[in-house]
Order: sequence, then C-alpha cells, then structure tokens
Amino acid sequence: MDDLTEMLKGTLEGCVLEIIGSEETYGYAITRQLNELGFTDVVEGTVYTILLRLERNKLVQVTKRPSGVGPPRKFYALNDAGRDELSKFWAKWQYVSSRIDRLKEGGR
Amino acid sequence: MNFWEKVTGSDLTREWKAFEARAAALPDDYRAAWEQIKAHLFPHGDFTGRNLLPILDAALGLLEVAAADGQNVHEVLGDDIQGFCTALAGGEGARTYRDRWREQLNRNVARKLSRLGG
Repeated sequence: MDDLTEMLKGTLEGCVLEIIGSEETYGYAITRQLNELGFTDVVEGTVYTILLRLERNKLVQVTKRPSGVGPPRKFYALNDAGRDELSKFWAKWQYVSSRIDRLKEGGR
Repeated sequence: MNFWEKVTGSDLTREWKAFEARAAALPDDYRAAWEQIKAHLFPHGDFTGRNLLPILDAALGLLEVAAADGQNVHEVLGDDIQGFCTALAGGEGARTYRDRWREQLNRNVARKLSRLGG
C-alpha cells in the first residue's frame, strides 16, 4: 500500500519501540522488519532519525558492536523509560483505533 | 577545543577535512547524497556551524554502514533528503540562525512601532 507515510508519522515511533522491545536490534534490521510487515515505503533514514530521537529522549540503551563489514553498528535495547513509553503508546493506540472503528461503524 | 581553536576555527577545518576524507571513500551515489545532506543541513547551523558536527557525523555514519551493507542509497534515504535532514537536526522546530534573525527583526519592528505611539 502506497502513501501511508503521513498516516504512519505519529505511530512509527511506537512501532520501532515495539520492535526494539522484543529483541535488541539495529537500524537496518528494523527497517527490513517494517518493510516485511507491509510498510514498504519506510526507508532506513526514517528509522534512523527515530532511533536518534529515542536515544536523545533516553528511552533506549545503545551498544556499539563491530559488524562483519564496515564501521561498527549501533544496537538498541529498551530501558525502563522505553518500556514505559511503549505501554503508553499501546494504550493511546487502543484508544485511537477503537474510536475510529466506532466512527466507521456509524455509532456515535 | 582550546582558546586558539575557538578563535581561529582551526578545529572545525580539521573536522571538516576528516569528514570529507570519509565521504571520499563512499560509492558515487552516496557521495552525491552526502553533498545534498550538507546543503540541507547548513540552514540548521548556528553561527560557526559547530552544532552541525555531531549531526553530520551521525549522517555520515549511517551512509557508511549502509554502503558497507551494499544497499542502494535510495533504499536508505528515499526521496525526502530534506525531511531526513530536518529530522536529523532535531525536528520541525529546530532553531536556525534564520529563526533568530527573524525574531530580532520582529522585535526591532515592534519596538519602533511602539515608539511611534501606536
């Protein structure tokens, strides 16, 4: 599905938190996972800027590990603040999606 | 950064040279992207551009890792390099020297107007 970027904007950060929450991972792998999920127009640069923001807001723990080729990679894991933020995200998502569903079903 | 470096900006020149040396090692399409990234980041600089150094370092780091993976630069940055740079520089509200000039101008105009007895 194309042109999801605008709709995704507010939720992509939560998606990235969820992915990091399930296992320690790095930018490229996160992008691939989102692509496989069907968000095909998400590029690594987008994920990267989200990761920088998470890092700035102290929601993740960053470890540098050597990679097979090229410079070391940054691996990300959630810290306590990050887990907190993730559960807040799902609560907000639940709220928004239930209201939008209700709107669609014509119940007001 | 010592006093001499602060006054002459010699540390900046040195850092720039290091960046350009790293960028020169990138594949062609990545080098082109690097030029665009620089152009889009400059407006986010402060007076000396010193605040841009860590941001440029981060961007270059991403390019290096992605190039080593053998990814196509388009897969990495997509079409919106400007948007990428804005996000790198700290979001839509990132203050730049232009914002400060604009504020200064607004303040001065407001002061002159109030002096006119408006």
